[in-house]
Amino acid sequence: MSPSLTEVQEEWQSLELEYQKLQETHKKYLQKLDEISKLQSSCSSSIARHRKRLKEVSRQVNKCTKGSSVDDAKTLADIKEKVKTQENAFSEMDAFLPKKNGLYLNLVLGNVNVTLLSKQSKFAYKDEYEKFKLYLTVILLLFSVICFFFVSYRSMDAIFNFLLVWYYCTLTIRESILITNGSRIKGWWVFHHYISAFLSGVMLTWPDGILYQTFRNQFLAYSFYQNFVQCLQYYYQSGCLYRLRALGERHNMDLTVEGFQSWMWKGLTFLLPFLFFGHFWQLFNSLSLFRMAQLPDCKEWQVRMCGLCFLILFMGNFFTTLAVVRHKMKSRNQKRKSM
Amino acid sequence: MLFSPNDLSECLREWDDLEKDYEQIQDTHRLYKQKLEEVSKLQNSCSSAIARQRKRLGELTLSLKGCKKTPLTSTLSPKEIESIAEMEESIKDKTNVFFEMEAFLPRKNGLYLTLVLGNINVTLLNKQAKFAYKDEYEKFKLVLTVILFMFSFTCRFLFSYRVLDALFNFLLVWYYCTLTIRESILISNGSRPDGALYQMFRNQFLSYNLYQSFVQFLQYYYQSGCLYRLRALGERHTMDLTVEGFQSWMWRGLTFLLPFLFFGHFWQLYNSMTLFRMFQLPECKEWQVLMCGCSYMVLFMGNLFTTLRVVYQKYMNNEDKSKPM
Repeated sequence: MSPSLTEVQEEWQSLELEYQKLQETHKKYLQKLDEISKLQSSCSSSIARHRKRLKEVSRQVNKCTKGSSVDDAKTLADIKEKVKTQENAFSEMDAFLPKKNGLYLNLVLGNVNVTLLSKQSKFAYKDEYEKFKLYLTVILLLFSVICFFFVSYRSMDAIFNFLLVWYYCTLTIRESILITNGSRIKGWWVFHHYISAFLSGVMLTWPDGILYQTFRNQFLAYSFYQNFVQCLQYYYQSGCLYRLRALGERHNMDLTVEGFQSWMWKGLTFLLPFLFFGHFWQLFNSLSLFRMAQLPDCKEWQVRMCGLCFLILFMGNFFTTLAVVRHKMKSRNQKRKSM
Repeated sequence: MLFSPNDLSECLREWDDLEKDYEQIQDTHRLYKQKLEEVSKLQNSCSSAIARQRKRLGELTLSLKGCKKTPLTSTLSPKEIESIAEMEESIKDKTNVFFEMEAFLPRKNGLYLTLVLGNINVTLLNKQAKFAYKDEYEKFKLVLTVILFMFSFTCRFLFSYRVLDALFNFLLVWYYCTLTIRESILISNGSRPDGALYQMFRNQFLSYNLYQSFVQFLQYYYQSGCLYRLRALGERHTMDLTVEGFQSWMWRGLTFLLPFLFFGHFWQLYNSMTLFRMFQLPECKEWQVLMCGCSYMVLFMGNLFTTLRVVYQKYMNNEDKSKPM
């Protein structure tokens, strides 16, 4: 039974009323958007100005502290403290103001603003990033098992390498976005992803041949081990981070990374030998590749290039981790001295 | 190191000033965050209101259609017919208005953007930002195209190291991937009406290009290895080049490339069919569609018949060889 025209007309009237309301809300919305963007630019510029003046004042304070009386010195020290508090407050404020993208994001995304403007959305984004890493790591793990044990075609390997390249590139994009949003990831871990992406790309172009077949199994086993350790790390790190965050000891935007960080001593020390073993495997890969490059029938440039990449990865990973261990040793010695 | 009491008092004065300024900044920032919250509430209410309106409008359209077709009320007065027509016009207008409104409301990313970027909202919230982004995109395309052109020129005429070629291919792949990301962002930002046809064809075209680059890459490596081997055996002229099709000397060891090549040819045929079909659509106003369709058709036919001829020749040769035996 189709409705009568009068019913339709009644419905129409009520829709029109709602439509008018919607238009008003939308107009108000656009107005507020405008106000917000004005506020954003005024906030950003006044913060920038203030920061400059703070720097000037700190310089002056340092100048004045040389040769001032005890009272004055106290006031000056007080000012220095307050300057630091203000600067911290500004970093927090910055997290909610739109920021210009870094070079990499600009190249890839252009001028889109990637600042997430509320704490929940930042966390939600970070959680999504962690989950993305976990899922992809598991998929890569399965894939490397399949390539190693079951299928042995160059094309399967190529698909695996494609996936690796895409994974690392996506990670770099997401991490740049996270850094813009206030996450503190140390430089090496981000750079490490660029190198890994490049390495996988080079592996992808390596033509099938005796040398490739010789290296292939070693590489697949290494990938399997890497992904396995990352899965381990993810589980333990996220539990740990959660605990530390609850105890208020870590900044909320810290991420799980593929290395060892200072806060991990609380309960993750057992991961260290696994990580070091992974690093030495990278060194071993690099040495095998360099040895292969010496062979008379090696004509592929990929061999040397991959060897170089693995060497860089090893050195970066190893020395960064070593620095963390040394730092811990030093602080433990200091504690012992003070007792 | 001269120290005068004036320095200290100046310092303290500046500091007081700064503290006042700081209070102001904090107030402004607090106000800003408040407005942010209000705006996000407004965003939510707008989005849900639009969704609700859309649903009811859809139902209304159905009811209107029902009203028009009932044989019982076929005696609709002209006034009623007019009012129905008015309502339908109005519904179309409203749908357009909703599209415009949504261009300023945050939208969920499509599958591709979600995979690559995650949950970031990429909607640019005012008209200038949108235009600026579009301009930047065009500039990016231009600059990268020039770079790629110069690179390919260098690779072709100046140097011929495999490393350079591999780099060129890497750059090409990166260029296409970045382009797809930026275009997905543009589409999320409401860039749809002009070039809807182009957008439909875009993804197909890009995947085709990626496939082509990949096949050429494969071919290059295998052909140059093969040519090297044959040249060393003295069986080919040293000036032979790698080409994009299949030549008679390629039988020695490159047969596996044939299916890839044929797949590429048939993809060209598919592209040309898609373009011809698009040309039939009523909204197609661009002459480029027909032209591209014809070009792909010519490419496909040339490629297919040349390759088939080589296969045929080889078959004939095999027959000849087996006859005298």
